[in-house]
Amino acid sequence: MIIHGLVAVALLGAVTHQTLAAWASADARPGSFIGRFRSVPSASFANAVVVLYAASTLLGGIVYLYFRVDVRPEFERAGHWHVLGFFDLKEHFAAIGLALLPAYLVCWRRPHADEPAQTRTALTSILAFIVWWSFLTGHVANNIMGFGS
Amino acid sequence: MTSSDRFGRFAFAFGPTFAVLYVVAVAKDWALFTVFPSLGIVLAGTHHSRDVADPAMGFLAPAMYWYGWAATAALGAAMFGVVAALLAGRWTQAIWPGWVWVIPALSMIACVYLTMPWFRL
Repeated sequence: MIIHGLVAVALLGAVTHQTLAAWASADARPGSFIGRFRSVPSASFANAVVVLYAASTLLGGIVYLYFRVDVRPEFERAGHWHVLGFFDLKEHFAAIGLALLPAYLVCWRRPHADEPAQTRTALTSILAFIVWWSFLTGHVANNIMGFGS
Repeated sequence: MTSSDRFGRFAFAFGPTFAVLYVVAVAKDWALFTVFPSLGIVLAGTHHSRDVADPAMGFLAPAMYWYGWAATAALGAAMFGVVAALLAGRWTQAIWPGWVWVIPALSMIACVYLTMPWFRL
């Protein structure tokens, strides 16, 4: 669980930086914060994002077995139905995001003129949304019995 | 035609197809296999706890479908992706590349709709 969380933190940083850099204005002054932020080659994050996303999903898939047997019944007894709904969404989104990784990698590794930057930016943004959703939902699910009990 | 072109076509077909098939698998409950983690067994196809245990004892054998739904979608998407990879480039060039993110985004909205019952409890 802790390794899953640590991998998720690294993934969160990589995909967030890449997404913000992809959205940032191209005409930012070179010395400005945005300019320096954008000067980091975003494509260099792509391999890291793919490896971290796959690792995080694999670890999440393993932890999910214990969640289903030991944790979810406690949530059901406590009536945390919203948390279970958000957690189900996390699993759905994570699976869809995993399937998008090949297209995401193709977009960043060999951008073609006929594949507009909009596609690359949108794919990266969807992955960033999924990663943020999964991180926050997983974090709340991990802690909620402490909050609520 | 290079292998990277083929992989590109596979990737652009696989992602959106997976997203659509995943939603269909969840909506129709088409899991390629069902995992019963407390029993340590995996059964082919979709099985509900009431099928393997007395309904009153169902909580002892919780069933997990997520792995099976993902496997169903991955299998179908892989087949579609291989077909797309084998097609000549001119057949696929006319397809708007934006579908690769629009379809998954719509599928995520469909997942929200399918999850709504949790929020009505």
